[in-house]
Amino acid sequence: MKKQTYIYRSFERFWHWSQVLLILFLMLTGFEVHSSFSLMGFENAVKWHNTAAWAFFVLIIFALFWHFVTGEWRQYIPTSKFVKEQFRYYISGIFKGAPHPTKKTRYNKLNPLQRLIYLGLNLLVIPVQALTGFIYMYYFYPSNPLHETGMETFAIIHTIGAFLLITFVIAHVYLTTTGDGIFTSLKAMLTGWEVVDVDEKEDHLKHMQDAVDKSVAGYYCLDKNGIFTDVNSAWLKMFGYNNKEEVIGKHYSIAREEKDLKKLDDLVSKVLSGEKIIGVPVIRKKKDGSLGRHILSSNPIFENGEIVGLEGFVLDISDTEDNSLHMYDAVRHSEAGYYWLDINGYFKDVNNAWLSLYKYDSKDEIIGKHYSCSRDEKGIKDLDDVFNRVTKNGETISSRIAIRKCKDGTIGKHLLSANPIYKKDKIIGMEGFILNLPEE
Amino acid sequence: MAYFKSKSDFIKLLATFTFIMLPWLFALIYNVYYSKNDFAPKIHIQNYSTDTLTGADHTKFAELQKDFKTPQEVTEACLSCHNKRGEEFMHTEHFQWLKNDSIPGKGKLKMGKKNILNNFCIGINSNEQLCSMCHAGYGYGDKNFDFTNQNNEDCLVCHDNTGTYKKSNPCKGPNLPGAGNPSPSINLSLIAQHVGFPKKKNCVSCHAVGGGGNNVKHGDLEMALTKCTRDVDVHMASKGPNDNNMSCQKCHKTINHNIKGSLAMISGSPQNGVSCVDCHTEKPHTDNLLNDHFKQVACQTCHIPTYAKVNPTKIYWDWSSSGILKDGKPLHYEKEITGNDTICKYGDYILAKDLPNLKTRKDSSNIKLEYDAKHGTAIFANNLQPEYIWSNGYFDHQLISDKIKDTTKALKLNKPFGSYYDNIHPSDKNHPSKIIPVKIMRGKQIYDKENMSLIQPKLAGKVKGLGAYWVDFDWNASAKAGMDYLNLPYSGKYSFIETESFWPINHMVAPKEKSLSCTDCHSHNSRLSELTDFYLPGRDYSKVVDNSGVIIIILTFISVLIHMTIRIIKRKK
Repeated sequence: MKKQTYIYRSFERFWHWSQVLLILFLMLTGFEVHSSFSLMGFENAVKWHNTAAWAFFVLIIFALFWHFVTGEWRQYIPTSKFVKEQFRYYISGIFKGAPHPTKKTRYNKLNPLQRLIYLGLNLLVIPVQALTGFIYMYYFYPSNPLHETGMETFAIIHTIGAFLLITFVIAHVYLTTTGDGIFTSLKAMLTGWEVVDVDEKEDHLKHMQDAVDKSVAGYYCLDKNGIFTDVNSAWLKMFGYNNKEEVIGKHYSIAREEKDLKKLDDLVSKVLSGEKIIGVPVIRKKKDGSLGRHILSSNPIFENGEIVGLEGFVLDISDTEDNSLHMYDAVRHSEAGYYWLDINGYFKDVNNAWLSLYKYDSKDEIIGKHYSCSRDEKGIKDLDDVFNRVTKNGETISSRIAIRKCKDGTIGKHLLSANPIYKKDKIIGMEGFILNLPEE
Repeated sequence: MAYFKSKSDFIKLLATFTFIMLPWLFALIYNVYYSKNDFAPKIHIQNYSTDTLTGADHTKFAELQKDFKTPQEVTEACLSCHNKRGEEFMHTEHFQWLKNDSIPGKGKLKMGKKNILNNFCIGINSNEQLCSMCHAGYGYGDKNFDFTNQNNEDCLVCHDNTGTYKKSNPCKGPNLPGAGNPSPSINLSLIAQHVGFPKKKNCVSCHAVGGGGNNVKHGDLEMALTKCTRDVDVHMASKGPNDNNMSCQKCHKTINHNIKGSLAMISGSPQNGVSCVDCHTEKPHTDNLLNDHFKQVACQTCHIPTYAKVNPTKIYWDWSSSGILKDGKPLHYEKEITGNDTICKYGDYILAKDLPNLKTRKDSSNIKLEYDAKHGTAIFANNLQPEYIWSNGYFDHQLISDKIKDTTKALKLNKPFGSYYDNIHPSDKNHPSKIIPVKIMRGKQIYDKENMSLIQPKLAGKVKGLGAYWVDFDWNASAKAGMDYLNLPYSGKYSFIETESFWPINHMVAPKEKSLSCTDCHSHNSRLSELTDFYLPGRDYSKVVDNSGVIIIILTFISVLIHMTIRIIKRKK
């Protein structure tokens, strides 16, 4: 799957283009110092070459820092896999219109040949140029022990490096035209965006993680001993905590009044023995001791076939107290269904619970369709309203009762939560959970 | 624009590229600003002072109110007041023509005009009658001169402020007073009453005319310096309203008649020398890049781009061709030549052959060959580009007692010590080697073929038959007379050997805008092309690396073109 992706961050582009300018400028001034031509005058050439060298040095420091902090340096780890294939692509495949042998993704921006060449450049040519260059620059002083071997060695190594850089630049500029289009790679390096392969699993995982993080449904995760290992911000808000650290590491008993604790103990031990809790209304105890009501779902977490903990969602129902009785029944018979709509209202993803609630057999039947297929005529207006509030105003909506239209035309009732999806600071869609309310 | 999904995207992109361009913009502004504001740096001068006291009015002194018959009487009168100065002056080089010195490898010795041979008029011994025209004494006519008699000191040659003092040439005309004595035509009393600190004219009356005429010897030291423009010499210039008009002693600081300054031709080690940094600092430039050159390059190298700017100097002297008499009379012949001439004929006479293809001829002008039966062949030239050598201030010397080891190469009379390596690990920490500009005087002079030593010939004389070459034109007799005078052996077999002597160029400092620019040295057409013992950026490169580099670039280009062509062809199909 290919997708418009933001693959070059601002700093990366700043680094790349500054490096382009500096290398060209150093080349120009350097070869004037080498007496290859006369352009700005020897004195100016030397001065600017030295100044640019310092600028390059600063840029290298920044770039090193950035690569290590972001972990992007891993992109340069060389691999022997597909080197031959990549090479073969450039010398024959490309002419036949064969596909690129390796996939370019956000997490694998460089092909194996690029990895090798860029690593060589970053580890060998540029540091050697910098080192010999600075030795060259400070060579005047007789106390310098390097005098013994003579300046000639450094000067000649520096010259060799310069020639290598020129060949690199020529080849590099040419190879940018071998992308999907002639200027695709160039545009990508200018804007940061490029249509690249997307690792679906990884992308999905990342999105689900985002969904959980940003959901209005509270998420929690307990280990075998009932100790909190993770909660999301919605959970914190519902329980009146300020940050995760206040919760993580504590026992779940902090979330209940003493009299309700027994019930929760039973529930936890059920889940830990493999049961799924689909939805129970409970009364929570907040940090400040006040109470609130929510519906709780829970499922065991497996690792290597063994249950290592439990996790689930909580949906606030404090404001919909009237319906609480209904809800109790309702949620008991339901699972939380997840959906994801793009900015135009088309389904991008749903989970299995959603599919079973809507009586679809597979995702493919629903993805790409407009949300209006999930409502009868009366309900559409209501959903339009929700969709507009979420995507235009950025509101989050929780615990709204909605009537769904299933695949076979039958209807059902559910509780709906919805929140906007952001990419950078822009809303690109809507997502949320639904919890079934059985007809009375 | 499909790539800008929103305004903020575009702004972000713009910001990124603004950030990229920002440092360049700063650099550009900085550069434009600084090049516009050419901060003419104030020259920082240290240890420099001008006298505020005026001298005493010597016309009022009773001791000087008489009719002096002999110059010695004048000296006596001077010393009657300046009673410590006689003893003081007696030990100076100006009187002794010798000083205590040392040569690396040869140890301590006394050196000076008295015992060192050059390749101009060779040496003073047996020629004192003529040479002592520049001796600051009276009567130095031969080796028996009394150097301990204070009354023989010539105060006036230096201290005459009238500009009328003149010594006579006892070799010319009859009945002239003896060696070193003033010309009979001058008024000793007038001069005695008008003495003072030496003026430029006093100094150059001898120092500019060495070798037989104005600027013949040094090339950078001549009469014209007494009145010249800044283009000739920024220090001594006096023609413009703001010119410095510095006297010689401003640099050649003098304490108790010890005048600072040393000359490579008669010195073995650096002592009592004058240096630019005596007044200028070691970091005189605002640009540190230039200041960094100080450790390896003498100031003179860049700041004296040419010498012999006004009058020509002699750069070649071939004694071997001398002695051509035409119709019994000494032949004299002058001719403009070019840098390519190697031979010069006059009728059937070959006046000069194997003329050296002097590197300095390239930039020089007004090149003239001058033949004279007395002196042989000489080449004079103007506006010469110095040659450059490594020097640590020490010079070896071919003493008259030294054996000549190799007659196939030019014999270096005062071989400079120093090398690039010596600049890194100086043998003398106070005097690391630097690149200095020199005039290299080339020529052919007489030597003893059997004893393999230089010969001191007797040149000057008035009477025939005593061996003086300029009278008898007989080298054998001249060599015998000269060597006998020194009690040194002469085998009777002489020949001529090519010699070189080194004359560091220190005067004729050009205005800063005329000093050398980077590419005078840092280029393939480098002034330092002879100094090959180090890597000079801009001049040196590895041919292998450069050629392979260019080939690799071309190959890369060709590969790209081929690859691209195939892609285009295949795509069309």
